[in-house]
Amino acid sequence: MSPKLRRELTGLAFISPWLIGFIVFTGLPFLRSIQLSFTRYDIVRPPKFVGLANYQSLIFDDQVFRNAAVVTLKFAIISVPLGIFCGVILALLLNANVRGISVYRTVFFLPSIVPTVATTAIFSWILNPQIGLVNGLLAKCGVTGPAWLGDPKWALWSLMFMGLWGVGNSMVIYLAGLKDIPNYLYEAAIVDGASPAKRLFKITLPMLTPVIFFNLVMGVIGSLQYFTQAYIMTNGGPEDSTRFYALYLFDRAWRYADMGYASAMAWVLFLAIVVLTSALFGTQKRWVHYGS
Amino acid sequence: MVTTNKGSKLFTHIALICLSIPAALPLIWMLSTSLKAENQIYTGANGASFSLTSLIPSPMVWANYPKALSTVPFDQYLKNTLFLCAVSVFGAVLSSSIVAYGFARINFKLNRPLFGILIATMALPGQVTMIPQFEVFRSLGWYGTYLPLLVPAFAGAPFFIFLLSQFFKTLPEEVAESARLDGANEFRIFAQIVLPLAKPALATCALFQFLGTWNDFLGPLIYINDTSKYTLAYGLQQFMSAYGGQWAQLMAASIVFTLPIIVLFFFAQKTFIQGIATTGGKN
Amino acid sequence: MAAKHIGKMVVAVFATILLVWFMASPKKPASDAVYRKYPDRIPVRFWHMWSAEWKVVVDRIVDRYNKSQNKYEVLALSVPGGADTKFLLGAMGGDPPDVMAQWNPVIPTWAEGGMLLPFEDIMTPQERRLFDTQSYPIVKRVGQYKGKTYGFPIGLQVKGVFYLPEAFEETGVREFPKTWEELCRVTQRMTKKDSKGNISRLGFMPGSWAETSSLFGGGIYDFQKDKLTLGNPKNLDCLKNLVSLRQRDGYDSVSRFQSGLNSSSFSAGWPFIVGAYAAVVDGPWRVEQIAKYAPNLKYKTALVPAPSGGLPGAGLGSGNFMIIPKSAKEKQGAWDFIKFWSGLSQPTVAAEFYVWGGWLPPSDAVANAPIYQKYMKEHPQFATFVSAIKSPMIQAQPPVAYQVFVNDTIQKYEDLALRGEISPTNAMTEVQAAVSKEISRRKRLGYDE
Repeated sequence: MSPKLRRELTGLAFISPWLIGFIVFTGLPFLRSIQLSFTRYDIVRPPKFVGLANYQSLIFDDQVFRNAAVVTLKFAIISVPLGIFCGVILALLLNANVRGISVYRTVFFLPSIVPTVATTAIFSWILNPQIGLVNGLLAKCGVTGPAWLGDPKWALWSLMFMGLWGVGNSMVIYLAGLKDIPNYLYEAAIVDGASPAKRLFKITLPMLTPVIFFNLVMGVIGSLQYFTQAYIMTNGGPEDSTRFYALYLFDRAWRYADMGYASAMAWVLFLAIVVLTSALFGTQKRWVHYGS
Repeated sequence: MVTTNKGSKLFTHIALICLSIPAALPLIWMLSTSLKAENQIYTGANGASFSLTSLIPSPMVWANYPKALSTVPFDQYLKNTLFLCAVSVFGAVLSSSIVAYGFARINFKLNRPLFGILIATMALPGQVTMIPQFEVFRSLGWYGTYLPLLVPAFAGAPFFIFLLSQFFKTLPEEVAESARLDGANEFRIFAQIVLPLAKPALATCALFQFLGTWNDFLGPLIYINDTSKYTLAYGLQQFMSAYGGQWAQLMAASIVFTLPIIVLFFFAQKTFIQGIATTGGKN
Repeated sequence: MAAKHIGKMVVAVFATILLVWFMASPKKPASDAVYRKYPDRIPVRFWHMWSAEWKVVVDRIVDRYNKSQNKYEVLALSVPGGADTKFLLGAMGGDPPDVMAQWNPVIPTWAEGGMLLPFEDIMTPQERRLFDTQSYPIVKRVGQYKGKTYGFPIGLQVKGVFYLPEAFEETGVREFPKTWEELCRVTQRMTKKDSKGNISRLGFMPGSWAETSSLFGGGIYDFQKDKLTLGNPKNLDCLKNLVSLRQRDGYDSVSRFQSGLNSSSFSAGWPFIVGAYAAVVDGPWRVEQIAKYAPNLKYKTALVPAPSGGLPGAGLGSGNFMIIPKSAKEKQGAWDFIKFWSGLSQPTVAAEFYVWGGWLPPSDAVANAPIYQKYMKEHPQFATFVSAIKSPMIQAQPPVAYQVFVNDTIQKYEDLALRGEISPTNAMTEVQAAVSKEISRRKRLGYDE
């Protein structure tokens, strides 16, 4: 066996669990959903081919779709960088070697493991305009807080705020990334007399970029598919200010029994995500550091 | 980053304590609600203003806990959930790390296009693949069993594969290279050199997979038809009802539901500390 | 070397998969004898959507049924959240339940697709006569699609006014108003605001437009002529009324007040219980909740009064109903269970179930049963709703396949109008435009022949 062929086979062998799984479990549903996007399909009766009709009405004739796309993009553009910023800061703090650090870590991680039904209940109290925590504190400062989830200007921001509470999830990934940075780099830097700030910007952050990149990509994918909290807490309202793409897609798919239309929506979203993530992968070379 | 300076330690403490307050307050509310009588939760919704003292339940209704636990067959659901968690964590971490190594460290021809597909599989919302996915599992005869919830884990999860490959890419090439010169094959390099170095990342994946399975409601709901085979997430849903839930009990159940993960995390994060020790041997 | 190791690994993975398979696969079919109380009977698989305290009621009814006869065993499965998805997938997989209790607006789509069994096919002529003559008019409207009954109601709902007599007396009102206009007028003075200008008690919180419009002589659907009637000018009258009601207390104040309370939609936190409304439109299940969480609350109920020139006794009814999938294995057992629960076979026995659930009865046969009469004596405020549900004027949701879309659209524009963002006239125009656009899109695709 030539070394080259051997490398090819070794590579394929390593990825074979995923490859087999992809072919058996994922590939077929994928192809099927493309097919469904060209049909009318109410789930109950067999799908019927309708050509491009779904895409046509989606692009030219659906105000709700357009609004949902705008809301979702706005959410992604703000919440993803915000989440990365807060996650990194938190992880840096929690990486410190101080007493009781495991308790701190647990406290910050806790919010992300509280079941969603409980989280939504908690936040309906925190954001309650009259007896809630946030407005209560604001009132102590003499400010009348808005109606948060009930106010079309604030509802989207409220959901972002809620998302920030669950930042512990990505914090864990950053923490693992920080633990992966070899100590000798710091030791060498200390010997060279580098200041803590310099160590942060020259060693820690660059070494963390692969993980930041990961969270960026996953953040974009996740926020463009954002669903659960909005579904439970606002269900799109008030005034469609939180009608996210996935929420409208869900309505079309299961509530209006219009799976063909929903599949077309899903593929438009799919294309958007693929374009965005490819663009991100394109920028990778410029700022993500692999290897030492 | 090793913090040695006393002043910076103090600063870290202060910053962490300040940030802990907003993080913990909602949890305290959750705890306090779980100990309240049902009609005390929103006391004084009638025009009353916010007050922190309302956080202290009086009287303490400890009975919410036994009541919540007896509403659903808790031990049965716990057993089922732990079984699903154990198997899927094992499967997902094992397969994902193997696949991630292949993508991160072996330069074969189809690497990049296949990795692109891997990422793309996360871009299609589950709402529309649910039906075809169901058809696949049904045609395999898996409807009504745990298999649709377990076997896919052994194919590796794209999320973990991507995450682990990011970690594997940062590992220095020299160690692997010298092992290769010593005649070690690729799998041995993976298993004996790379894996031990990636412990924090593996722990992260295990934790996330555990969480994912622990919280999964829709999967068991769709594929399982037998009350005795459901999981805790299903049991938790039992506290919500169409005309408003019993919130004190829901909170009590949520706390019981969350407790095992808290314990798990508390111990899992030790792995992150261990990370320091092992990276010592990395240079 | 490499290939050998990888081979080993692959074998290990597959061995694990096989092991898991073996452990996870059921040794016997899903309805295993181990979990059954009466393994020698014919199993009837029953899915329902109730949870929490309601599931307890359902389990009791099922238990009653299983004890009442010795041919079938009903096996109940609670499917809270995602119930429609599970049903559709189960039916597609050829393994649906034999009977399911539902309240989502699923009948038009599922019946149109031929997924449901029309009850006309399983009722004996005698049962059918009984059903036709006994049931209140709303019973048939709830489950009908294109002239056939696909949903068999097992408990009905309609809204009424809950009010605080004290708040009325404070402002010199001795008797509950006879007309809508009067109710709106007298409750105006009952709205209270605190020092900061926040509403602490709202005089009158009406129901939604969909619930109110038929009182004005409008409505979404004409059941005689089988068509949507969104364009009816009475509908606009109704919306104008609701908007002006909102306007008088201030759009912002009310929506602030509302969102302060709405999020706490749990039983004990119902705003009326803590005195947040002088009068509010809500459903009969609240009677039981008040008895449970605020037994000392002094309140009364009344029919929602119609405006002068409107239709007294009208309203929007809804119900829980049973469906039998066409592909069900045990249809006779399912039907036997439905007859038992609904009270078609033994109304005096079933009356107790209606009491347990706080559900409105489908017929006088159930309502007049001693146990139901006793319940109404214990909860006198409940009787209002029983008298309301009898009315032939009670409407149901429009039996069209795009029903959910219509409801969502109405809600959206109604909300905009109630926030003062658009005029009622524009709101009604927008609703009609959006609905007719959706209808023509569906026509183009060939959905509704």
